[in-house]
Amino acid sequence: MTPIALNNFSIHLGERELLKNCNFSLEAGVSTVIMGPTGTGKSVFLKSIAGILSTQIFTFDGAMKVNGFDAYVNGKKSNFASWTEIEKSGLMFVPAETAMVMNPALTLDQNLALLAPGCRPTIVQRLKDYFSMNFEDFARLYPDEVSGGEMQRITLMILLSRQGNLILIDEPTVNLDRNLRKHFVDFLNKEILVDKKKTFLMVSHDLDFIKRLSLDQVYKLEQGNIHKLDTLPEMEGYEKPVAKKGASGTAIELKDVSQTYFKRGIFGERTFTAFKGLSLKFERSTIYGVTGPSGCGKSSMVKAILRLMDGTKGQITMEGKDLVELKPKESGYDPKAFKPFRNRMTVVQQDSRFSFFPDLTIRNSFKQIAKAGAGGTLEDFIENMKKVGLTEANLDEYPQALSSGEMKRIDIARALTQKPDILMLDEAFAHIDFDTRLKVMEAISDYLAVHATILVLVTHEDFDLRYFVEKSYDFPELVGQFEKV
Amino acid sequence: MKKLFNVLKIILVILLASPLLISWIPSEVFANIAPADLVESGYLSALFVSFKDLSITLVATLIFAMIISLLLGYVSVLSMKVGRAFTNILNAVESIPSILIALFCYAPVSGYLASHGSSASTTMSLLVFVLAATVTTLPEAVRSIAIPLTDLYNRKYSLSFRSYGFTKPRILFVLMNTVLMRDTFKRVAAGILLKTLVLDCSFGFIIQLGFGSNGTPAHTSPGALIAAYRKALFPDSGSPILFWLPSILLIAISVAFLILLNKDKEENV
Repeated sequence: MTPIALNNFSIHLGERELLKNCNFSLEAGVSTVIMGPTGTGKSVFLKSIAGILSTQIFTFDGAMKVNGFDAYVNGKKSNFASWTEIEKSGLMFVPAETAMVMNPALTLDQNLALLAPGCRPTIVQRLKDYFSMNFEDFARLYPDEVSGGEMQRITLMILLSRQGNLILIDEPTVNLDRNLRKHFVDFLNKEILVDKKKTFLMVSHDLDFIKRLSLDQVYKLEQGNIHKLDTLPEMEGYEKPVAKKGASGTAIELKDVSQTYFKRGIFGERTFTAFKGLSLKFERSTIYGVTGPSGCGKSSMVKAILRLMDGTKGQITMEGKDLVELKPKESGYDPKAFKPFRNRMTVVQQDSRFSFFPDLTIRNSFKQIAKAGAGGTLEDFIENMKKVGLTEANLDEYPQALSSGEMKRIDIARALTQKPDILMLDEAFAHIDFDTRLKVMEAISDYLAVHATILVLVTHEDFDLRYFVEKSYDFPELVGQFEKV
Repeated sequence: MKKLFNVLKIILVILLASPLLISWIPSEVFANIAPADLVESGYLSALFVSFKDLSITLVATLIFAMIISLLLGYVSVLSMKVGRAFTNILNAVESIPSILIALFCYAPVSGYLASHGSSASTTMSLLVFVLAATVTTLPEAVRSIAIPLTDLYNRKYSLSFRSYGFTKPRILFVLMNTVLMRDTFKRVAAGILLKTLVLDCSFGFIIQLGFGSNGTPAHTSPGALIAAYRKALFPDSGSPILFWLPSILLIAISVAFLILLNKDKEENV
């Protein structure tokens, strides 16, 4: 039985053809990766095999069989009963946002029993062997009671230990920190990829990660066509762009900053400490990288500097003013004294789909954002979009019609257009392939040459540290909470 | 094909809910086609009045409860303190059976009902019932609005939009107008209608069974009609159709609301 067989299968998103008359098929027991630049439709293709693509947004042509069952016939998605059969036959899909599969109303143990019945001993053992975690310590906790990093490890192990013969895995490294990535590679190589009873299909742009896996075959999705690659592309061709410098000097300083936050779960509110004792300086025109495991407080630091969190203690000084004193609480408004600082800061958040209005085109969203005082001109925005490899046509698209990588680049273009003094990039390159990423990095570097900006990049990717960052900080080391990674 | 299916679904919903619309046509129009004994006994006219009153109750409750739910849902997310206070109050309300809340709401106005004429008494009954139905539907309705709105704000849009300088009230207002939230509102509305329908009929049933004296609510409802003709199910006590006709019509209307609820859930998957 062929686990996946496509017959002249096409996927359309409005006018765009993401997959053209594809006749791709996979033999049982092989491990395969599909690479490709950002926005080519890799994740869309994988989701079409998993049957979770909205038929209201996407349309199809041709046919597809999954585990021998008709998944699509003459461009029509098979009915619920057929997909139930496919699922029962052993289809396993691991989404990029793994934590979203957990039910917040159930304990981790109950979630495990629901998602991977009969696999508890294997999961417990694997968590111990590969992530040094004792599941019993977490079994009775609810998803909102464990940290992001712990949650990610447990969820990945649950999803990948289920019974089944066909594993589909979507950009698994997007949310993995560096330390976790090493163990995850080890786990995949030793437990998943050696098992020839299972067929493994992954989509990823992360060449660094792919190179470390023992995969049987590599495909590339480009302009709607999937073609086989004989060898993996080399990473040596990349060069670190020369950082262009504007004026320098200390611009923002954190003195003994600590941050607590509330988390509202189904059992009320709890206070967590994100970090404490953080002291560091960010100078202008230097590209700072902040790394560390998931959940160690990197993103909370970004929010604290932006003054979008309650519970900040210590001093965050900029031009002699203490931002914490100017805005001690996040109540949904900015005090008058803080407003001038607000317009000088911007952030590219982890999920850029949520940086634009959900029901407006990018053009109309940008107009609204510009009206709020954080925009710049449309002409500059278009110019910056071109610099990050996008076209003016993307302006008239809706966020849900663009890939995560495209949205990231649009958000970066938006941030540069604002001409900020403080630019915070929180995992800003996570969904962008390496070639495109260098282009984006160059656009940011060009901006730095003209504007002496404070630039902080929160990242867990070696590529960013190697090819972009000038000075990196290990966050757990800074706050003295964890051992050195 | 899917469009055709959706059109058929809408037609089915309209057909099932049509008793509420037909009740507005004078019952005399149907006098010639209905069996003579139903017309002469006044049953047909009572049937029309009960469904007409039900439609008024449903629409009035829907409008009132939706306005309050939207307001409370919005304010709960806007201010955590207010949200927490509302949650505690609504949780307490939810723990009391709806029918008891309805009876409790009538207690302070029983004197007014006893001392006033039929028209004033009916209006007061309607107002009190709308209030009681709103109170019973609020906990679920507010929760259904506040949870997705909180999720959209806290987990998704607040970081970027606050960094642009938008205020929290404005961001929440924008999010309330998104397709996702509008779908949620439709589901909340269908839930309110279904819950009010059940409460209206069970309340009418209880009033008909247990009261009937001066000072009790003037609550004309298909539930009261069912209670009044429950003996028709026994042999030689009249035609069972007198009992089953309002029951079947109520089931049809309930199914229409359930389809609406299910339709929106499917679209959100």
